[in-house]
Amino acid sequence: MTRLSRWLFEPAPLARVALLRVAVYAFVVVDVLALHTSGWYHGFADPVWYQPLQAGRLLGLPAATVVLVEMLKWGSVGAALVAMTGRAPRTAGWAVALTWSWYQYVAFSYGKVDHDRGDFVVALLLLPTVGIAHLSDKRRSQAAGFALRAVQLGAIATYLLSGVAKLRFGGPGWVNSATLLRAVVRRGSPIGEVFAQVPFVLHAMQWVLMVAELTSWVIFFLPERWRRLMVLAWYLFHAVTYATITIAFWPHLVMLLAFLPLERYRDRLSARWRARHVTATAT
Amino acid sequence: MSVPTGSTRTASGPLSRAALAWRVAVTLGVVGLAVNGSVRGNDVQWPFAPMSQFAFGVDLEGQIRSTYVEADTTAGTTVRVPLTAGGVGLGRAEVEGQLPRFVADPALLESIAVAAARRHPEWPRYTRLRLRQEVSDLRGGEVVSTHTERLADWTVLDPAGLR
Repeated sequence: MTRLSRWLFEPAPLARVALLRVAVYAFVVVDVLALHTSGWYHGFADPVWYQPLQAGRLLGLPAATVVLVEMLKWGSVGAALVAMTGRAPRTAGWAVALTWSWYQYVAFSYGKVDHDRGDFVVALLLLPTVGIAHLSDKRRSQAAGFALRAVQLGAIATYLLSGVAKLRFGGPGWVNSATLLRAVVRRGSPIGEVFAQVPFVLHAMQWVLMVAELTSWVIFFLPERWRRLMVLAWYLFHAVTYATITIAFWPHLVMLLAFLPLERYRDRLSARWRARHVTATAT
Repeated sequence: MSVPTGSTRTASGPLSRAALAWRVAVTLGVVGLAVNGSVRGNDVQWPFAPMSQFAFGVDLEGQIRSTYVEADTTAGTTVRVPLTAGGVGLGRAEVEGQLPRFVADPALLESIAVAAARRHPEWPRYTRLRLRQEVSDLRGGEVVSTHTERLADWTVLDPAGLR
């Protein structure tokens, strides 16, 4: 095998995939029930506003109706709850992939497309391919390794391609334009208002963002420790973004978990909890 | 290559040659579509669309436009129509995405009054809708003044009959 395919198929613990699955499917439930993406309310929109995307034309998807959005909503929640148990990982997982992706399609076929959700479709399509994975199964599998790697690639491609799009549409001058000021003026938040008073901070943020996006692929060449710090840095960046323009790329945040040794974090947490519990009962 | 421990159903261990092959093929296909979408595609190609949110430059001496819809109601009040998740079936960015249609044919505003009545039967009905833009003028990347621009007006045909 070549170096590239060894890297792509580097075996990973099944427990890690099992934990990522719990996070991904739990997020689906939260996303559909609590975050209120536009998929649901398009059921109430006049069909005159439906603007089919290519995928919809290809598959002959109709304009949304209240019945359709309710089916997609509760279908994805139901399938995600089953998938969280780890049972029937393929059937349940692909049912989530189908219903949730269709729900996003409904959201994006009325005049606006969000770009942080395409990579999550990748995660939903790939997680079922690993098959049965128990939370305590420390065995390594190539199928698990590939699924995690592909999710990582999807997450980083989202950053890199965002940088590419800024160069394509905004040009190199994007970094010196007023794009973030526009976002703050239009969306407003108490912290954003403060930033609007000091435009040079927003200006600097644009430079940081462009550089971070265009160099995001470096993460694959870093030592493990630095890789985790970089993931932490991205989480901080998204927290600041949320505070200033109240936009969070939620599904993408879940994707970043694929970089972390989740099963080790869990073991460490439960060991610490047990230790504290033991000392508490002993005293 | 070592002998596979069985089908992919067994989960652990190495993958069979066929299982490796389809994964490589799908990866190449997805990468190809994503790159194509980013370099020369547009939104209709989602999920292989360019990541164009916040990708457009805004002129430091230009303007920032923020669209809103205002409505008079059967209760005699004037309200801001919520172009949000809890609102009337269309978000603000979606109204902006289809703005030329509203301007060319203000009668399309009627559909907003209909959607409001369907989703929120308890609200007073909209009688008159005004599509407006708040325009902020920039000088050197700072907001120096704002004014409102009128885009379209529509008088709802039969407010009491909306349902």
